[in-house]
Amino acid sequence: MAKELPGYGTIDVPKDRVVPFGAVTPAPVCQQDLFQTSNWRIVRPVKDDEKCTRCLICYLSCPDACWVYKEEEDVMEWVNNFCKGCQICIQECPSGALTAVPELDFPDGVARLDKPF
Amino acid sequence: MAKVHEITVWARGVIMDKEGRDVINIFAQAAQMEGKFAQAFDNYEDLPDRVLVTVRKYVRLSDEEIEHKYVYTNDKPEVVVITEATIVKGIDILRGMEKGGTLIINTNRSIDDMLKLIPNANLLGTVATVDADAITGVRTVDFSGSEGGVDTSGIGKGIASPMTGAIAKVTGMIKKENLAKIVSDVSGMERGYNEVKIKKLG
Repeated sequence: MAKELPGYGTIDVPKDRVVPFGAVTPAPVCQQDLFQTSNWRIVRPVKDDEKCTRCLICYLSCPDACWVYKEEEDVMEWVNNFCKGCQICIQECPSGALTAVPELDFPDGVARLDKPF
Repeated sequence: MAKVHEITVWARGVIMDKEGRDVINIFAQAAQMEGKFAQAFDNYEDLPDRVLVTVRKYVRLSDEEIEHKYVYTNDKPEVVVITEATIVKGIDILRGMEKGGTLIINTNRSIDDMLKLIPNANLLGTVATVDADAITGVRTVDFSGSEGGVDTSGIGKGIASPMTGAIAKVTGMIKKENLAKIVSDVSGMERGYNEVKIKKLG
């Protein structure tokens, strides 16, 4: 579809790329993998599924949206790559299902970066 | 031009920023008291105002005047000092190091446990650990002294004193007697000097 743009002449816009004025386009990514912050943390939250009541308070209180409710399995999933270890979820959990464990107790789980950013 | 020894100190933003800065300042001052030439750089590239972010501090030592003043990063660190042990997991701390370098970690874990977490540990000649957190108790959380402010808590209050004591013993670049004139926590520095565990590799 040829469009007349003032000052730029005519450009060809493919039909599937044409969006109406004011439309909302989907975000390109769900997780920004260029900004992984998992190497900021000293401790990590470890959940106890038996104590967890799926009240979603950890999901509400996490500043980085690192707790996700998986409806199919009925469990809370922790997002490793972006958790900074701020321990807000551990403080807020009403059933005491979360504990802080030092990161060095785990052999892996941190994105190893060449440089800080 | 004489050889320039490069020392890189890794710390965590905000909660341990003062500790990292104290380590480089004490180190550079002690070296200058022996008549060496020293440069200490802090707060340039890592935005240390974010809590827990990994930040770097740099020292350079030389027997002659160090002529380059505009490049502050250490591309080939000879000694790497880790003031918080979890940093070894998340960052390639030995990047640019030539074979036979030295690594000093503040941790209560064993040296072999720490070496398992470092994939390029074959670069190292010496590894040392010192439990500075246990020697001085809690880390100082203090913002004074940053950005040209007056340091009211005293230089070397917190884990910086035992860390510099350990550096003096492991590297031999600075003397313990000079450190005792600078740091405010002399007993902590002495304990760091005596309690550091050193392991020579390959």
